[in-house]
Amino acid sequence: MNIGFIGFGTMGQPMVEHLLKAGHNLRVWSRRAASADSLVGQGALRCESPAALAAASEIVCTNVTGSADVETLAAQLAEGLAPGSIHVDFSTIAPGAARRVAAMYAARGIEFVDAPVSGGGAGARNATLSIMWGGKSALAPRLEPLFSVLGKTVVRIGDAGAGQVAKACNQMVMVAAIEACAEAARLAGAAGVDFSLVRQAMLGGSAGSRVLDVFGGRMASGDFAAGVEARLHHKDYALLMDEATRIGVPLPVSAAVWQQLNALMAQGWGTRDTASLLRVLELAAGRSTE
Amino acid sequence: MNVGFIGLGLMGRPMALHLEKAGHTLHLWARRPESLAPFAAVNAKTYATPALLAANADVVITMVADAPDVEKVCLGADGLAAGGKPGLIVVDMSTINPNAARSIGLRLGEKGIAFVDAPVSGGEMGAINAALTIMVGGTPEAFEKVKPLFEKMGKSVTLIGGSGAGQVAKACNQILTGVGVMAVAEAFNFATQSGVDAAKVREALLGGFAYSKVLENHGQRMLDRNFKPGFKAWMHQKDLRIVMEEAHRMGLMLPSAAATAQVFNAIVGSGMGENDSITALQLLEKMSTKPE
Repeated sequence: MNIGFIGFGTMGQPMVEHLLKAGHNLRVWSRRAASADSLVGQGALRCESPAALAAASEIVCTNVTGSADVETLAAQLAEGLAPGSIHVDFSTIAPGAARRVAAMYAARGIEFVDAPVSGGGAGARNATLSIMWGGKSALAPRLEPLFSVLGKTVVRIGDAGAGQVAKACNQMVMVAAIEACAEAARLAGAAGVDFSLVRQAMLGGSAGSRVLDVFGGRMASGDFAAGVEARLHHKDYALLMDEATRIGVPLPVSAAVWQQLNALMAQGWGTRDTASLLRVLELAAGRSTE
Repeated sequence: MNVGFIGLGLMGRPMALHLEKAGHTLHLWARRPESLAPFAAVNAKTYATPALLAANADVVITMVADAPDVEKVCLGADGLAAGGKPGLIVVDMSTINPNAARSIGLRLGEKGIAFVDAPVSGGEMGAINAALTIMVGGTPEAFEKVKPLFEKMGKSVTLIGGSGAGQVAKACNQILTGVGVMAVAEAFNFATQSGVDAAKVREALLGGFAYSKVLENHGQRMLDRNFKPGFKAWMHQKDLRIVMEEAHRMGLMLPSAAATAQVFNAIVGSGMGENDSITALQLLEKMSTKPE
């Protein structure tokens, strides 16, 4: 299949490599040409512009940072995409922005799929991402050869925007669990108890979870180097809390977690791991592990 | 003075009429022409666009819903910037994001138009009685020129600082009133559920350290079960959204405001948004009693 791809960060880079290995023809474009060099070396074709990339692709994938980036790119891609072609956006953006982009494309007969992912850099490298997508169900057979190469769990949630709603739910559940781990680690630490043993015991019981395993492990060993940069979770909270305000849904726990993330950002820890939420609690108690 | 006024709703209409009564000539534009009806009998000129209005005014006051509306009236096609002469002062009395206010001010400044943000507190009654609290951000020069207008609409007029500072003060006001209304609602619900007369609690507390205007006024309205606005809950939700957006942008921890904002989300989501914000008490009651 002829696939275009834009956005080669921690996630995008290994995703393109998997698609190349699966035998797809990849076209790439990037604002800074150098960031596509290694992929071009592996066989991807470099394009002059998003529109040129779009004109040669049946499916264009994007994986960028914010709603505004996706909307700007979509306007450029629309110049090149043929009716019937698909833009698959893997970024995490506002559900409302995803719906706007879909409506803009619909007027031109172009399909839009929001397909945010969960699983982080490791999930992208191991092709074990969880992909939650929103778009017409009739598109599923055309997306399957793409998604099956990138992820392990692929679920169509609903129409355009539904994937982003699912991602918002994912972030809420995950970061609230990280905060819960941080609070447990803080309580254990303050009580003079070894959290690594507490974690070990909990992992075997009803409180066991992937977050306790991974993020709890980082907290236990005091490793706050980024697995997931906290600033990205912080950004996602602005999206999901805004959506909650728009539709009038109370999210009391998420709102409290959001404030802990704000405090984390104020300390300049945005490029550290979200396990740094433990350090926010220590800060409030006048202690620090570093 | 030739005063333009855009946004003739619950607040804007009485504010504009106070200025007319004080001898100023009103220049009006409204998105919905029926908003102009109450001005048929007074000294007011009406225009087809904000740009045409701006060409005939020394000062233009806007009192609209949110930042995109202010932006459109000021900088959109046929907006104030398209018609205003250099030296025009635009005074926005809406409640909008401080950062948005600063940005609008900068862009109007490029056209030689001064921008003053002057959000108000006091609600519809404050507007009708010319008793508003007006919090102003802008240059001292622009403030001095428009101060006589503020004094016809409000009782307390304060220059807080530069562009955006008025909106910061209003955001602080909404944190205090939002969290304050919640605190009074929680205290009253606590008293009632404990089998204690909330009216007696209020009476006692008014004499002590917990005294506040919210306890006095909003508290009385809660006891009277008078949930008519006042200040509508959905507007408080909007204002808290602004507060939380700014907290996010700056990395500020606002745990109480964040929790309060969720209660307002619940109020709006359950269809109580048109009530006064003291309807928070009804939500707490619903959550703390079994359905019949």
